[in-house]
Amino acid sequence: MSPTLVIARLTLREAVRRRLVAACAAITLGLVALSAWGFDRLSHSRSLTSGEVHASVPQALIMFMFMFSFVVALSASAMASPAISAEVDSGVLLTILARPVRRRDVLLGKWLGLAAVLAAYCAAVTSLEVGVVDWVSGFLPPDSLAVGCYLFAEGVVLLTLALLLSTRLPPIASGVVGIALFGAAWLAGVVGSLGATFKIGTLRTVGEVSRYVLPTDGLWRGAIYYLEPQSLISRAVDEAAGGAANPFAVPAAPAWTYLLWVAVWFLAVMTAGLVSFERREL
Amino acid sequence: MRARTAREAAGRPGAPSPAVHTIELRKEFRRTVALAGLSMTVERGEVFGFLGPNGAGKTTAVKLLLGLLRPSGGEAMVLGAPAGDLEARRKIGYLPELFRFQSWLTAREVLRVHWQLLALPSQRAAGAAGEALAAVGLAGRGDDKIASFSKGMQQRLGLAVALLGEPSLVVLDEPTSALDPVGRHDVREVIRRLRASGTTVFLNTHLLDEAEQVCDRVAVVERGRTIAIGALGELLGRQTAVRLRVSGLGEGWWHRFDSFGRWVADGDSHLLEGVEPARVPDLVAAIVAAGGRVGAVVPERQSLEARFLELLGRS
Repeated sequence: MSPTLVIARLTLREAVRRRLVAACAAITLGLVALSAWGFDRLSHSRSLTSGEVHASVPQALIMFMFMFSFVVALSASAMASPAISAEVDSGVLLTILARPVRRRDVLLGKWLGLAAVLAAYCAAVTSLEVGVVDWVSGFLPPDSLAVGCYLFAEGVVLLTLALLLSTRLPPIASGVVGIALFGAAWLAGVVGSLGATFKIGTLRTVGEVSRYVLPTDGLWRGAIYYLEPQSLISRAVDEAAGGAANPFAVPAAPAWTYLLWVAVWFLAVMTAGLVSFERREL
Repeated sequence: MRARTAREAAGRPGAPSPAVHTIELRKEFRRTVALAGLSMTVERGEVFGFLGPNGAGKTTAVKLLLGLLRPSGGEAMVLGAPAGDLEARRKIGYLPELFRFQSWLTAREVLRVHWQLLALPSQRAAGAAGEALAAVGLAGRGDDKIASFSKGMQQRLGLAVALLGEPSLVVLDEPTSALDPVGRHDVREVIRRLRASGTTVFLNTHLLDEAEQVCDRVAVVERGRTIAIGALGELLGRQTAVRLRVSGLGEGWWHRFDSFGRWVADGDSHLLEGVEPARVPDLVAAIVAAGGRVGAVVPERQSLEARFLELLGRS
């Protein structure tokens, strides 16, 4: 087994043994159960017309998935922030790096292990939430697989950034910076929407630029698009044409050029992490 | 005549390369000089003590040899390859001074991870882990979580990890700092067994009695520089004094034997300084012939601690 895979397995085992997986599973199951109750109430409400129910269920699902995207982001940052720095400080990495192991094996192994945890979480949470909503309300998003993939990509972006920060900053600092940047990127997206609504070019530019600097919000918008039924997409297109914008409605899927940029961003941050760790004195 | 480079020393035709060879190895952390030009050779199969006061640069030197730090200057070769070489690291066992293992793993799992990192055949992993645990006195604790281990037990496990895969060079950085007297004795036994099997041991310690008991040669470092290096016997000088306990000859008996050396009364015994070791049997025979009873004859040598302090200019 290659050293990268040995470290990846070790990282996975750590996530399971330290009850991270169990804690995430417990909280997620609780939230999904709560959402099942909520969607049941919403779908069978006598005060809403069927048209209103059809419009509100997808919107409510987007809000719930936003909450799960926050859990994904928080988990990615919390798991990756101590991955290098805490193990350097405690001396765990001294015994490992004295072995015939390259530092890049360690970093890539950790990334792989944590990405596997995120992938499993995104797959589980998307299928559970979408399945529950379909069961209680009959609404099935147009492409659940794409939703899960965008959610995972968003988590991977933050995971890779937190891992880069972890090669230099203490765990708490890199965790706080990662989450703060995630929040700032989302807020910049909302600011961009406000800029579009009120036709303030500078604010719109802030939203656009932030999606390139940290692509978490851009990828979250991809997830929104694949959660929307055609009626919501049409409304979002009309709102966008009319100058109004809603941070929880997206008129189009991310362009392939944007996805290409995300791939470049990912490679650049990962390379920076590898170089930073390679140069770190232990 | 130019100085031999570390690479040349490591590559002498026909001769095995030294286990460790450094020339003017330097390490600076911004304005702090941690290692100011370390030159030394550790031959294969010897137990080499690396001594020095706290902050002398011992751990920095060890980390440079293992490639965990990058040198600011100089050269270092380990097992015939540049320090930090991936293949050479396959043959090195390392016990760091300050370290921890993953608290959520068992001792056996830690050993298995290191076995996998060494890319050794998996079918031998369980047997090797059992042997390593037995060698350090943890035979019954293999399936316990590290979280339940005391600091001393973690240090024993660290030693077991360092012994995995039959390394050619074992680097021990303060291996007994957390151990009780029994543990220290066990570590010394492990070191002796390693020497008997031809393994080179690089022992980084500030415990001089430990070095005195197990090392073939030592280097003394201070402020990042070697101030003395050599076999323990050479470093301490040859024996030049004998302590005797004699009865049956009355007051001032020792004056009758002034020709053997200079006498110093020391409690109920007498120290004879400057005596040739070859003449000690003659002295004992002369005392017995004069009617004396010899209760004790103890050869005295300068202790490593006294020599160490002398070298550091603090005696």
